[in-house]
Amino acid sequence: MSSLPLRIGVMSMAHTHAAGYIGLLRDRPDVELAVADPDATDRPAGESGGRSLAEQLGVTRYYDSYEELLGWSPDGVVVCSENSRHRALTERAAAAGAHVLCEKPMATTVADGEAMVATCAAAGVHLMIAYPVRFSRQFRALESMLPALGPIVAVTGTNNGKLPSARAWFADAELAGGGAVMDHTVHIADLLDLMLDGAEAESVHAVTNRMLKEGVSVETGGLVSLRYPGDVIATIDCSWSVPEHYPTWGGLTMRVIGEGGIVDVDVFGQAVHGFQESAGGPLRLGYGPGGDEAMLEEFLSAIRDGRRPQPDGESGLRSLRVAMRAYESART
Amino acid sequence: MIHIKSSDTALRVGMVGAGGIANAHLPAWHHIGADVTVFSLNGAPELVARHGGTVAGSLQELLDRVDVVDVCTPTYTHPEIVLAAAAAGRHVLCEKPFALDGATAASMVEACVGARVQLYPGHVVRYFPEYAAMQRAVAVGAIGTPAVLTFHRTGARPQAAWFADPALSGGIVMDQMIHDLDFARWLGGEVESVYARIADSAPGTATGVVTAHVIARHRSGVISNCTGTWARPGSRFRYGFQVAGSDGMLVHDSAADPTLRSDTGASGTGGLLPDVTLVESPFVTEIRELAAAFTGGPAPRVAAADGVAAVRIAEAAAASLSSGAPVAVDRIEVPA
Repeated sequence: MSSLPLRIGVMSMAHTHAAGYIGLLRDRPDVELAVADPDATDRPAGESGGRSLAEQLGVTRYYDSYEELLGWSPDGVVVCSENSRHRALTERAAAAGAHVLCEKPMATTVADGEAMVATCAAAGVHLMIAYPVRFSRQFRALESMLPALGPIVAVTGTNNGKLPSARAWFADAELAGGGAVMDHTVHIADLLDLMLDGAEAESVHAVTNRMLKEGVSVETGGLVSLRYPGDVIATIDCSWSVPEHYPTWGGLTMRVIGEGGIVDVDVFGQAVHGFQESAGGPLRLGYGPGGDEAMLEEFLSAIRDGRRPQPDGESGLRSLRVAMRAYESART
Repeated sequence: MIHIKSSDTALRVGMVGAGGIANAHLPAWHHIGADVTVFSLNGAPELVARHGGTVAGSLQELLDRVDVVDVCTPTYTHPEIVLAAAAAGRHVLCEKPFALDGATAASMVEACVGARVQLYPGHVVRYFPEYAAMQRAVAVGAIGTPAVLTFHRTGARPQAAWFADPALSGGIVMDQMIHDLDFARWLGGEVESVYARIADSAPGTATGVVTAHVIARHRSGVISNCTGTWARPGSRFRYGFQVAGSDGMLVHDSAADPTLRSDTGASGTGGLLPDVTLVESPFVTEIRELAAAFTGGPAPRVAAADGVAAVRIAEAAAASLSSGAPVAVDRIEVPA
């Protein structure tokens, strides 16, 4: 075990979360950071990316190609491409012997997800999926209350957001794999996966519509109803129902009803509220740290300690299946 | 249509039943100056001792004495009493649900139409000020076209034995969630199909924690989600909504009302009915509006057809629970 810094590469900045991860990794003394974002040139005019964005984010090691980035022999990479491109980048990283932390959802088809799990296993590298909410203090506190809550009866979750307008691909059926259902079902599905010890849903029913947001060709409204073993029921509201000028991007809430009581969490709810006269609108100063920092720590420490990080690829596959089954249900 | 003519004498109301909801309605009738007679197989003397009024010795005696009948009995007895009131030519406010199935509910409406008396369901959530404010705003386009509607409702599990028997109460969807099913339909229009799930921590008993989830597709394209919970004894009554449309959203949670907070070190007090002390009682608002209609005033915000429609949605949800598949809600056809 060396005390040398870990080399971590960020592959693509197509996902808006890349900036947050880069900021956290950049500031860690135990990490050497490099970024490659060669696909930036494919993005619609006006969308940020490439060397200029990396420099803005304080990145000192930028590579023009994934080949060069992987040639630097990173210990691990964070894959932040469009959803449908996760598989190709994950496979390249695995072939180069780098552990992978892949943005959620892990892929846009179950077959791609399964291939990623198999490839990483064969290459002997970790595959972790970026579900930060399970690392938040709010969810950790909820988890600690579960024993007192007794058997879980029902869960309702909301993961509502704005239409992610900074990156057009989020509303591109091909690149994203869908709309709100693909983007926002999986976070709560991951929390349920953790709470219910990886149990797969016995039944998935979903309804969707496109009545929110204009000029979008993917679903913007979605409600997903689930039943898990033990007759635990759950409903996820994954809609992009947050108005564009709302003071925050959205949020994630969960209400867990157990035999012994009810617990509510609002993971991104910590904020100072006010009003700004000149803007004629509310001020909202969110101060919750979310789970990104603890999630990255899990990925890095697992590399150092040689143990499998969680949530792993199999876990990511289970939450992906919930979204895919929701689409199947909504189509019929 | 029969209108009650007297303006200088008090509205004469006959309340049938003396249970939980009667304790909310009786003070509301008194608040608007009505003269109330109560008939109940159980508890009428105790009810009037608490809230005033007089006791009738029989249903017939009550019907002979009043202009309006307020049916506050357990659900399974509603049809018989409503039909008796209609036959006697009395207007009716009937607690929700009208009946345990849509066909019976529709027959009650037909009987009232035939007898030329008014009939309204006690869909009191339409009178809760936060819900009423939201509905008025949505109606004038404050959030654009409604698209995704969610409603939630939690209260301590009712202890009266008949609630526990779905054959008598219809279960949580028919008894409790029907408020939110009615509201979802008010905002989103007629429901095309529903999909329902239920979980009970102690099936077959009256003591478990029960939650039902119902997802609906409306003919307008709107999708809605209602969740209802009967929680453990002592749980606070809590309810709220999030309605999102093409131009905005409106959100409310009763637990987030900031206007009064206290902490006495004791655990929260539970109840079967919400605490409405910080607003005018929605039961007063409801009963005032219905009393005005009974005495020749404008049509209220709720109609008999709404009572039938809500029962039919809940009935479809029950069918979905049995079949495990989405169930179409028949188009509502009731006499005007």
